Amino acid sequence: MTDGEDRTLLAEIAQRDRVAFETFFAAHGAAVHRFVRDLVHDGGLAEELTSDVMVQVWRSAAKFAGRSRVRTWLFGIAHHKAIDALRRRRVPTVPLDAMLSIASDAEGPDDAALRAEDRDRLAAALASLSPEHRAVLELTFVEGFSQKEIADIVGAPAATVKTRAFYAKARLRDVLAAAEQTR
Amino acid sequence: MTHPVAELLPFYANGTLDAADRARVEDELATCPSCAAELREIEALGAALHERAAAAPPPPAHILDDALARISATPLASASARLRSAWWGTPARYATAAALVLGLSAAGLAAWHVREADVAAPGRVSGDTQAVTVYRATEPPLQQKIMVQHVTKNRDLAQPAVPPETVAKQHRLARKARLALLVRDVEVALRDARGVVGAAGGDVTALNDATPQTPNTAHGATLDVEVPAAKLDPTLDRLAQLGAVQNKAIDAEDLDASIVDEEARLRNLRREETDLRALMDRGGRVTDILTVQQNLSDVRGQIEQLDAQHQSDLNRVATSTISLALTEDRPNAAPAKPGPTARIDGAWHAGVAALVDTITTLLAAIAWSVAYAPVPLGIAGVAYTAIRLLGKRRATAP
Repeated sequence: MTDGEDRTLLAEIAQRDRVAFETFFAAHGAAVHRFVRDLVHDGGLAEELTSDVMVQVWRSAAKFAGRSRVRTWLFGIAHHKAIDALRRRRVPTVPLDAMLSIASDAEGPDDAALRAEDRDRLAAALASLSPEHRAVLELTFVEGFSQKEIADIVGAPAATVKTRAFYAKARLRDVLAAAEQTR
Repeated sequence: MTHPVAELLPFYANGTLDAADRARVEDELATCPSCAAELREIEALGAALHERAAAAPPPPAHILDDALARISATPLASASARLRSAWWGTPARYATAAALVLGLSAAGLAAWHVREADVAAPGRVSGDTQAVTVYRATEPPLQQKIMVQHVTKNRDLAQPAVPPETVAKQHRLARKARLALLVRDVEVALRDARGVVGAAGGDVTALNDATPQTPNTAHGATLDVEVPAAKLDPTLDRLAQLGAVQNKAIDAEDLDASIVDEEARLRNLRREETDLRALMDRGGRVTDILTVQQNLSDVRGQIEQLDAQHQSDLNRVATSTISLALTEDRPNAAPAKPGPTARIDGAWHAGVAALVDTITTLLAAIAWSVAYAPVPLGIAGVAYTAIRLLGKRRATAP
């Protein structure tokens, strides 16, 4: 969905169009849910937060100033909600060892299972990073945002985002390498 | 990190660098093997993250249901936004807006005249006479606090907001009257006053009858009564006939604004209560139910408090109070035994009054003499002329 289409949808949502709201969720709900779930590491909380984000979209659609892409604005809301929830609930970062042991429980020799095992290992490695590092990796590699857009989303200077992305990637690589050795 | 450009690699990999930065990175990549290795690593990680994201299960459908239920449950929070969008959304609605503006102007004009008439009307005491057409957008304060699911999913969201209540302002006055009478017999006047009040459908709320202990003290009594608001003026007129009116005053407080406000808030709270009850009936997780229960009891408490205030205000408008003071008409009797200060004070006042009296009398006499001066002057002139003529005649007589 292009930003132009997003803007049209948002304008319709501002006019209390429920169908537009459902379309918007169909387009972005999964990404928002995935993003907040990776940030908070709590399925139930992630569902609540995704719902919170959507309600916020409904309420603030009329206030969208159009200075950024709609997706940037949306992820800004999601990031804010997730970080806020983390601060309030103090969701602990899962210790690396625990996650690695869970990850190595993958079963079956076939291809799909192997890929699943890789994904689990990646999830475990991500979980051991700080929320800031997880956020910047997700936003860069999964959502494809620019440095400037990520700075808008997380509310940090662009230079900080650049450094953070670099170190987050380095840390993730190290963790994965460590996991590889314990296999 | 040896190459500052290496920090740009993640954004080179995700294709979001501008042309200048991309060129810098590409120059670096061409000459720096470690940067190229770094990029390969980044691309591999990026692909893995991407693949993981793509394999993630879709979000549960109930997230959307939950969000839809919650946005249905915020009817007034964004009422102004909805009004704006609803009005300006389609050209056909310009007509509505124009009609509203015209209507408001007309109402404003009419109100102005009403206000003028009000000010001009003698004896009419009015508290505040501000703008007469009132727009009321009430925000439900609790709405923000409630973060639980709402049931009213099928409520039509697209319908335009509740139109603003255009209240042609009426005066809802809580009136208080004070009447002081000089009567021949306080007992008789009291009995008659109670008769008048009873006939008007009113009640006596307080009575203080001070029967004098000494023969030289005047008999006095006060009576507080409540009468239906419509009966205030006739009752006052009839009470005034019981003696000589010494003092009469009416205070009025306009409660219209607060009553309208209370009604709007009550409506919102009751709506909220209905929604919450429906939620309770639906059941769900224990924490949700407890939250709903807590909100429900908060809302109920607010409703009861507001309702009591509302009833009290309505009652104040529906009934007017009269404070009646009756004093026996005995000029020689002292109303009470004055203390030394009061006596000095009294003497001073008596002295001043006597002085004022004397000066007034003197001035009146002077004015009187000036006014009548032409008569004695005329008589004197005539007499003088007559004497002169008589004298001349005697002198010329042989």
